[in-house]
Amino acid sequence: MKSPSPDERIDRALEGLLTPEDLEQFKADVIRDADLRAAYVDRLWLHSSLRAQRETLVEVLEQPLAAEKIVRRWPVAVWAAAAAACVTLAASIWAFGKGTIYHRPVATLVQAENCKWAGSDLPTAVNSKLGTGTLALVEGIATLKFQSGATVTIEAPTKLLVRDAMHCRLIEGTLTAEVPVPAHGFTIDTADIKVVDRGTRFGVTAGASGNSQVRVFQGIVDVGGLHDDKLQRLTEGKGMNVSSGNTQAGQEPVHGQQIQEADGWTSIPTSFGRGKDGYARRGDAGGAPFGMQPVIIVKHTDIATGRKNERRAVVTFDVSQIPAANVGEAQIVLDPVPSGFGFSALVPDSHFAVYGITDESLDDWNEKEMRWASLPGCTDEGPNPNQTQRLADFWIPRGGTGGAITVRSDALADFVRRDTNGLVSFLIVRETGESDPNGLAHAFASKEHPTARPPTLRIKLSTQP
Amino acid sequence: MDAHPPDPTADTEAYLRLLTQHDRWLATYVYSLVASAADAQDILQEVKVTMWKHFANFEAGTNFRAWARKIATNQILNYRRATQKHVSSQLEENFIEAVAAEIDRRADVLDRKADALRLCLRKLPEAHRKIVVWRYFEDCGVEEIATKSERSVEAVYRLLSRIRAVLNDCVSRQLAVPQTS
Repeated sequence: MKSPSPDERIDRALEGLLTPEDLEQFKADVIRDADLRAAYVDRLWLHSSLRAQRETLVEVLEQPLAAEKIVRRWPVAVWAAAAAACVTLAASIWAFGKGTIYHRPVATLVQAENCKWAGSDLPTAVNSKLGTGTLALVEGIATLKFQSGATVTIEAPTKLLVRDAMHCRLIEGTLTAEVPVPAHGFTIDTADIKVVDRGTRFGVTAGASGNSQVRVFQGIVDVGGLHDDKLQRLTEGKGMNVSSGNTQAGQEPVHGQQIQEADGWTSIPTSFGRGKDGYARRGDAGGAPFGMQPVIIVKHTDIATGRKNERRAVVTFDVSQIPAANVGEAQIVLDPVPSGFGFSALVPDSHFAVYGITDESLDDWNEKEMRWASLPGCTDEGPNPNQTQRLADFWIPRGGTGGAITVRSDALADFVRRDTNGLVSFLIVRETGESDPNGLAHAFASKEHPTARPPTLRIKLSTQP
Repeated sequence: MDAHPPDPTADTEAYLRLLTQHDRWLATYVYSLVASAADAQDILQEVKVTMWKHFANFEAGTNFRAWARKIATNQILNYRRATQKHVSSQLEENFIEAVAAEIDRRADVLDRKADALRLCLRKLPEAHRKIVVWRYFEDCGVEEIATKSERSVEAVYRLLSRIRAVLNDCVSRQLAVPQTS
């Protein structure tokens, strides 16, 4: 094969298109060969100038060509950046002065509601001044005010590393942030992404090994992967889910696969076989059905004005590949994700129930026609006792759990054992109401979710024949 | 090294003036030596804070860029060692140092190139501008652009390569023309 020209090697190196071995050889050659080094720096500088000028690039492209002279003129954006740098510096100097970063306060714990802490190396009393360190919230909701002006509210269970007045790391859990103008540029990173505020209110959830989600309530944020060097702008109402390469492969079912786990458990996601999931809202008359959304949402309210927002979900698993009669234990795993509807602060700890749909003719429901009136096993008031059986219940504390919910009971295993048609369907309802019509609607990932785990039935077969 | 944050009132203005004057250059320098945009941003912020902390050590009237460059190069090497995201090898460090030294050596020319580039960008045809915006403003990789533009990855690579060659030629021509004031 013809060896590539120096220019081609350079361009491929810049675009990350060389194999690791070729890149290594290229670097060695750049060190050794002065001509290649000069050519590389020429191209590199152009490439880097474009990258570094990102913010003003469109402005430059749109300027008329008439201004033909090369003028050393700094665009307004640079001055603005300098002004912003000034503010950032004013905030950072406290943190960096005299190398005492670890002891200088960069934030204050302004509010802590029903909080239990564990493993924090920062003080957790209200009004404590916080330097660099970790906060681990196991129960409740707490609010930190950073010296830059940014306010961050963490919902248990969450582990947060406070770095400085402009930067923290969400190790795992959920937070919402409100960032005023002087703190623009406030950055939160997780195991797999970095969220840079551009004037906004936003929420982030993250697992310890990645799978972060961002939602912008107001304003703009830039989201960049830590590893893939991408930056993406998210505007109001937009969200983003990022799956990192750090998820523990083999432990979570891939879409469309039933997986056998090492310890005798089989995981069957709704994305497997004839599985399906969806939800419906009482006030959905005429609207699009909710069977194909990336989330399933459940909500209960006793408030008259919120009645139309009542939501129930149904999930069906394809158990045709397992000998259902031999089921020893069964669990349903649900992965909570932000619903984007309502706030945790407005609902108390919430109680949920899982009903098995005993009328197997209802397993035939259709995701694309999923509406309130056709929710299997339901009347308008609730689960139909003639078609369903209450199997299990679970709690989600106010502020969320930050992790997957596992629902298990003997009745659940027994229900799966009695299956005769290869499909088992469950109705998921919330039984706890809310104090305000803007209370949180709880959401779980559906099989359409791009990254989070779909509802999964985990089965362990009985060792007895 | 002992760090004395400078007297804010006396030195802030001098520092900000120098920083503003060299900000774009400094960013380009860091981006040249750091592949990940996110890491480059982090490092840039750290460099600016470090420069500010040590600004008392900077002798007014001496070469600010040389001083900034030294701090930036150290930060880049430290960052790589600290994050251990990349398996830091001797080759990698030698590579960074060799490229940094080459940039130093040609600082004046490179600086003029950055100015000429703005003019050359405006001469690009519309179709090429779109690719430039995708690649550098939206920070899309070659594969993403391939999807957006319904081209193959190889075709996008060739196109980007050609656009950069065109820009490079244009920049060189601009530098060859004696500048009128």
